[in-house]
Amino acid sequence: MEQVIRPDLSFVNDVIASGGESLKKCYQCATCTVVCNVTPDSNPFPRKEMIWAQWGLRDKFIGNPDVWLCHQCNDCTAYCPRGAKPGEVIGAIRKQSIMQYSQPCFMARLVNDKKFMPLIFLLPAVLFAVVLTAIGKFTIPQGEIVFLKFVPVLLIQALFVPALGFGSLIGILGVRKYWKDMSNTRLSEKQAGGCLSCSTENIMNSVIATVQEVLAHQKFKKCDVAKDRFSAHFFVFYSFIALGIATAIGALYIDILDMPSPFKLGYGTPVKLFGTIGAIGLLIGVLLMISNRFKNAQKVGIGSYFDWLLITVIGVVMASGILSWVTRLANIPMLAYPIYFVHLISVFSLFVYLPYSKLSHIFYRVAAIVYAKYTGRDKTN
Amino acid sequence: MAENKPIVIVGGGISGLTAAVEAAEAGCDVVIIEKSPYLGGRVAQLNKYFWKLCPPTCGLEMQFKRIKNSTNIKFYTLAEVTDIKGQEGNFDITVKVNPRYINDKCVSCDACAQACPAYRKNEFNFGMDETKAAYLPFNQAFPALYVIDKNACHPDCDECKRACKYDAVELDMKPEIINIKAGAVIMAMGWNPYDANKMDNLGFGKIKNAITNMMMERLSAPNGPTGGKIIRPSDDKEVKSIAFVQCAGSRDENHLSFCSYVCCLASIKQAMYVREQYPDSKAEIFYIDLRTPGLYEHRFLTKAQSDPNIAFTKGKVAGICEDPESGDVILEVEDIFKGTKVKTRFDMVVLATGMEPATKNDRSVKDVAYTPDGFVDTSAKKGIYAIGTLRNPVDVIRSTQEATGAVIKGIQSLRRQ
Repeated sequence: MEQVIRPDLSFVNDVIASGGESLKKCYQCATCTVVCNVTPDSNPFPRKEMIWAQWGLRDKFIGNPDVWLCHQCNDCTAYCPRGAKPGEVIGAIRKQSIMQYSQPCFMARLVNDKKFMPLIFLLPAVLFAVVLTAIGKFTIPQGEIVFLKFVPVLLIQALFVPALGFGSLIGILGVRKYWKDMSNTRLSEKQAGGCLSCSTENIMNSVIATVQEVLAHQKFKKCDVAKDRFSAHFFVFYSFIALGIATAIGALYIDILDMPSPFKLGYGTPVKLFGTIGAIGLLIGVLLMISNRFKNAQKVGIGSYFDWLLITVIGVVMASGILSWVTRLANIPMLAYPIYFVHLISVFSLFVYLPYSKLSHIFYRVAAIVYAKYTGRDKTN
Repeated sequence: MAENKPIVIVGGGISGLTAAVEAAEAGCDVVIIEKSPYLGGRVAQLNKYFWKLCPPTCGLEMQFKRIKNSTNIKFYTLAEVTDIKGQEGNFDITVKVNPRYINDKCVSCDACAQACPAYRKNEFNFGMDETKAAYLPFNQAFPALYVIDKNACHPDCDECKRACKYDAVELDMKPEIINIKAGAVIMAMGWNPYDANKMDNLGFGKIKNAITNMMMERLSAPNGPTGGKIIRPSDDKEVKSIAFVQCAGSRDENHLSFCSYVCCLASIKQAMYVREQYPDSKAEIFYIDLRTPGLYEHRFLTKAQSDPNIAFTKGKVAGICEDPESGDVILEVEDIFKGTKVKTRFDMVVLATGMEPATKNDRSVKDVAYTPDGFVDTSAKKGIYAIGTLRNPVDVIRSTQEATGAVIKGIQSLRRQ
């Protein structure tokens, strides 16, 4: 059967530019697919992704769950005889996938193009400065340090709720499109008679299984070379959950029930405990992530802008959060308020850039795993 | 006049022997320095040559005969170069000759070995069997002299000396240092099989029925540990299904970064050994690319491909495990043309490991440039010429061609002075 290959050179260049510079070294030996512990046995990854990307077959990645089933253990990279770093290349392809599905595309470019880096933090900083100046609060308040004197609750609600809402909405819209593409691919495969994963499981069961898998970090446990990825992700993941719970309860008390802040009740209360554990957990997690990157740098490489941007944002969120807490306790207003300002900006960035940064794996990876379970692609694992 | 000085050849394998006889027959004096107790090197360990499938001992015998008939060739076994000084036409070479503990009176009667109470691992057969501490390296060894492995001897034992009727055993032999003035040096130290233990995912050393391609040569050789019967190490079961893992450590930046050129042809040859010995057997060769350049080499591949019981599967084996009950090996590979990751069971697996140049670790010849992989750089010092697998991985034909070519260069070095 004749098959015309139409290479999309811009796709090749995009992958190379976003951390996949080793792409062309691959000589298709398939060591990677064999040492990968998370790939299904039929049509395994990442060898096929390597040749698709080398040939610029952008279409092959549309509607394919596989790049997101990869958890970047980098077992493949460690054993790769050519230094082609399949794990990093697939990471770069994931970035392309995010840029395709997370609209509007200028936002995706802003977040993922290195040259816009100063803007990423400058824009929210300017926004906050303007708003605070407008309400006449852009000064360091006198007296006992209370952050709410600096930024009123109403303003936090007015800025952060829409930010998170925006981020989530874009992510959900992206997933919807991705899911549609995956379904269409399957449909055309079916029509061509070459359906690879035709069975359909119960969608609810697939969702439940996915949630269980994510909570238990089952896929990460299968990594051989980068076992530490498990603990790094585990700490960051559960710290965010703890911090999320603490924030939600705080919001419930202060904003909805109009009760005094639950954080004031002392360190023994569950809310404060969640917050404190979350902050310490996040510190450990971020440090682990950074040390893992350096530890594996010789073989895997130090990572792309895409990787480091997320680590940086989370790192700033964590560091500014802990420091504003410490400086408040130490009663140094000249430090506490500016650091708190940085904290607000970084959290705001995390929310707004959620669907465009590496953090959007919350949407796309989960969707891909659910889809894989739903279509029986995930059976062998 | 440098013309009266000999050409010193470091290494007595097929390259070195060829260079020696060619130079001697052109009228030069030649000294061979060989590290092991016998001449012939790796070729002596081979069962058959590809692609003619003829025994290599045949060609070796011819070279040995030419050496015996020549008055110009001197050779030292158990000898190693410790220093080379000087320049083209005027080299001053220091050689350490290690004791054999057996002198030239030996007639290979085997009495010493029969009397010897101690055993040693037979490295000629890659440790697949043992010899006595007093042993003949292999049945066609040249020189046909026994050797005593002092490290394996029982303390203060002299059973061999008492058993020898010819007064050939000298247990107090000492290492000797000799100096040779040479006009030119030809480096022909050959290669070592890449250490298969280094590929942690292929399980060599832990999996009993995983052997290397050089072990397979010994296993199928009539003078090998099983008398040529291809049976697997764990339980002596006849090998009816065999797998070959190509590029085991080759073309791999974590191991040997280059292609060793001979392994594809060697595996095809070895698959034919098995198919010939057991007509109901099956072989499967797992490869990244099949590299058999050359007309006859390509015909050899086509011949193997026409055998329905030799399968060729594209995909590198990256995982091997053992079924502890049966001793079978289970290979994990992606069949690239089918796009599926499969686990396949075999009686035995052969890892086609590559050639590591001896100069990777042996840097006794100084003043010579080496590549990162340990090959001798082509811009070797004037008067010093590297041949065979020290330059790049080659087969026997190319080794002998290069050897002959290097002799001309050596003679030019002698004449120039």
